[in-house]
Amino acid sequence: MSANLWLATGNFFTTYKQEQRTFLTSLDRSVFTFFLVLLFGWPLVFELSNKYMLVVDNVLIAIVAVMGLNLVTGFAGLISIGHAAFVGIGAYTIASFCQTIGESHIIITHFWPVLIVFSGIVGAVFGAIVGLPALRLKHLYLAIATLSFQMIFEWTIQFMTFFNQGQTIYVGRVFWFTGKVGRSDHYLFWYFIILTIVILLGFGIRNLLKTRYGRCLVAVRDNDRAADAMGMNPGLTKVYAFALAGFFAGVAGALHAYVYRGVGFESFTLHESIGYLAMAIVGGLGTLNGSFWGPVAIKFLDLQVETLAEIAGQYMPSSMNLATALKPFTFGLVIVLFLMFEPRGIANWWRIIKSYTKLWPFRY
Amino acid sequence: MKSKNFLTALLILVVMFAFTASVNAGGKVYKLGMSLAITGPTSDAGNPYAKGTEDYFKFVNDTKMLGEDTIDCTIRDDQYKTDVTKRNFEEYLDNGIVMYLNYSTGSTLGLKRDFEEEEIAVLPASYHAGNLDGSNYIFLPIASYSDQLVNLAEYVAKHHKGAKAKVALFVHPSAFGRGPVSDVEKAVAAGLNIELIEVVEHGKDLDNTAMLKRLMSKNVQYVISQTIQSPVATMIKDSQRLGLTASSFGEAGKLTFMGAHYTGGNDLIALAGDAAENYFWITAFNITSVPGEGTTKQLALAKKYGRDQKAADSHNYAAGIMVAQVTTEAIKRTKAAGLEINKANLYNTLNKMNGANAYNPYTTTGPVNYSKTDRMGVDLLQIYSVQGGVFKAVGKPLESEYMKKIK
Repeated sequence: MSANLWLATGNFFTTYKQEQRTFLTSLDRSVFTFFLVLLFGWPLVFELSNKYMLVVDNVLIAIVAVMGLNLVTGFAGLISIGHAAFVGIGAYTIASFCQTIGESHIIITHFWPVLIVFSGIVGAVFGAIVGLPALRLKHLYLAIATLSFQMIFEWTIQFMTFFNQGQTIYVGRVFWFTGKVGRSDHYLFWYFIILTIVILLGFGIRNLLKTRYGRCLVAVRDNDRAADAMGMNPGLTKVYAFALAGFFAGVAGALHAYVYRGVGFESFTLHESIGYLAMAIVGGLGTLNGSFWGPVAIKFLDLQVETLAEIAGQYMPSSMNLATALKPFTFGLVIVLFLMFEPRGIANWWRIIKSYTKLWPFRY
Repeated sequence: MKSKNFLTALLILVVMFAFTASVNAGGKVYKLGMSLAITGPTSDAGNPYAKGTEDYFKFVNDTKMLGEDTIDCTIRDDQYKTDVTKRNFEEYLDNGIVMYLNYSTGSTLGLKRDFEEEEIAVLPASYHAGNLDGSNYIFLPIASYSDQLVNLAEYVAKHHKGAKAKVALFVHPSAFGRGPVSDVEKAVAAGLNIELIEVVEHGKDLDNTAMLKRLMSKNVQYVISQTIQSPVATMIKDSQRLGLTASSFGEAGKLTFMGAHYTGGNDLIALAGDAAENYFWITAFNITSVPGEGTTKQLALAKKYGRDQKAADSHNYAAGIMVAQVTTEAIKRTKAAGLEINKANLYNTLNKMNGANAYNPYTTTGPVNYSKTDRMGVDLLQIYSVQGGVFKAVGKPLESEYMKKIK
C-alpha cells in the first residue's frame, strides 16, 4: 500500500488481506470513529423527550431485525415474510423466563445481556428449522412456507395460556452497575445498549461477507447450481442464512421486550413482517447500510405522516378519518415508488454520494 | 384621512387582541391525553368515541364550564397498536398531562405498569375486569364485561321458561373476549340457574352454519356474545337464514341472541339488518332510540359541533362524552376543593366519587361510583332489544347479584 494511509489516491494492494480491510484509509477510520463518538455523545448534549427516545430505540431495534432479514432475503435471496415471528420468538423467550421465574427475578434483571444472546440463539434454532423447507422450495413457494410459520406462531401465542394468550407478559426493570435503571433513564439506557449491539452486529455482517461463508450466501443467491458446482453447499448455506436471520431477529425481539417492558402479541403480526420487508426494500436489499436507511426512513415517514394528518385534522376537525387514508397510502406509495424508480433502495443514493465525494482526493 | 382611519382600526385590533390574549392568559390550561383507534381495527367504535370526547371538551371550554380555565386534550390515533399507544402516552407525559384516557384492552394491560409508576388516573374504553387486577390507577367507566355477561345470564335464568336454560358463549379470541368466561363459570358454580353448554371462540368465519347446527343439536337456546359487532352480525344473519332465530325471548327450539357492550348498537343493526330483530344487548349508556334528557343533550352536542347523524346516534359517541364528563367533573371538584389540578389530586377526587358524591353524567343509565376498593364506574346496566329495527329498553337498569357473590 501507499505510504500515506490517509489518502485513497495511489493506494494499491499487494495482498488479499490488505484488500479485505474494513477501512481502506485512515481517513475512513477517522470519519467512522467521529461518527460513532457523535452517535454516543449527542444524547448527553441534546436531551430528547421520552417519546422521541422511544422512537429512536424503536428504529435501532428495527435495524437489528432488518439486518437479519437482509442477510436471508438480500444476500442469500430467500424471501421471508415471517420475520416478525422470529422477532417474536426472541421476545417470547424473555417472556417465557418471566412467566417461569417471575418478571423481577435476578436472571431477568441482572443477567439480561446473557438472556439477549440466548434469545438470539433460540431465534437461530427456529430460523434453522424454518429454513429446512428452503432445501426443497424456492421463490414464492418458500415465501409461503415462511408465511405459514408466521401463522403457526400467531396461533400458538394466542391460544397457549403459558403465553398469556397473547396479552402482555411483563418484564421487570433491569439493573446496571449504577443500580436499577429507573423510568427517567430507561430509554436513554437502552439507546446506548442497542446502539452498541447494532455496531457489533454491523461489524459482524461486514466481516461475515468477507469470509467464504458470506460469499457463499451471495453465490447461492445468484445461482445455486453454479455455487454447487463450485463446491459450495447450497442447502447448508440456505439453512444457516435462515439461522443467522433468526439470531438477529431473536436479539431484536429480546431488546423489544426489555425496552417496552412487556411482550404482547400485536407487535409480531404479519403486518409487522410486511413492515420489515418494506424497510429492507426501501433501504436497499443486499446492502449492509440499506439495513440502517430502511428502518430510519420508514419509521420517521410514519411519524411525519401522523403529524401531517394531525395538522390537517386541526383544520378539519370532523374529518379525523384523514389518517385512515394517509398512512396506508403513503406506506404503499413509498414502496411502489422505490420498486419502480430506485429498486436498489436508499443505499444506492448513499453509494452515489460516496462516489461523488471520492472525486477528491483523486483515487485513481 | 384614509390612513388615519386605517391606523385607528389597526390600533383597535391590537387592543382587542391584547385584551383577548390577557383574558386567555388569566386561565389555567389542564393538559390531558387520549390515545385510541381512530383508524385500523375497531375504529368503527374508536372514531365516534374520539368525536364524543373532543366535542365535550370543546363544549367545556366554549361554555366556560371551568371558568377561565380550559382543558387541552390531545387525541392521537394509535391504530389499535400497543407500541403506538405507548409512544403517545410517553409524549403526553412529556407534555405534562394530569389524567389519561386510553382505549383498547391490549394497550391498557400493556401500559398498566407505566400507569402505576406514573401514578396517573386512567379511564380506558376497555371494560375488561382484568384491567383492575394489580392496578390502582385504572378506572373502568362502566361495569366490566364480566358484570355484563353475568347480568345477561341472570336475566336468562330469571326469564327462561321450563327446565334449566342451556347457554353457549360466543367470544372473541383474545383477553377481551375470554376474560368474562371464567366469571360466568364461577357464577354458575355459585348457583346461577343456567347450564353452560359450550364456549365458542370465533375466528374470521364468514359462515356459522356448522356452529349454529351444532349448538342446536345440543339444545342450546341462548347465545351470549362477548366480542365486536361484525362476527355477531355474521352469526345472526346465518341463524335467520337457517330459520333458527327466536321471534321472542326464549322461544322454544330456537336461538335467542344476546351480547355485551361492544356487540350491539346501531352498527349491529346496520350490519345485520332484519336479522338483528330481537337481539338483546346490555350496556350502561343511554341510547338515542330511547329518547330522554341525556340523549337530547347528546344530540345537541353533536349538532353544535357538526357531527353527522351516524356519529350522533352512536353509543360510542356517548361513551366518549362520558369519559370526558367524568374527567371534567374530577377537575371541577378538585378546583372547588381549592386544590391544585395535578395527577395526585385528580386521583384522590375520583376515589371520593361515591355515595352522596356519586356523579350522574347524562350519558349513562346510572351514577358513576368510584372508591379505593371499587374502580368500576356505572354499576347499573340496561338491557335493550331490537324491536322494529331499533333498540328499545327492556325493563329497568339492573345490577348483577352473582358478581357480588363471586367477587
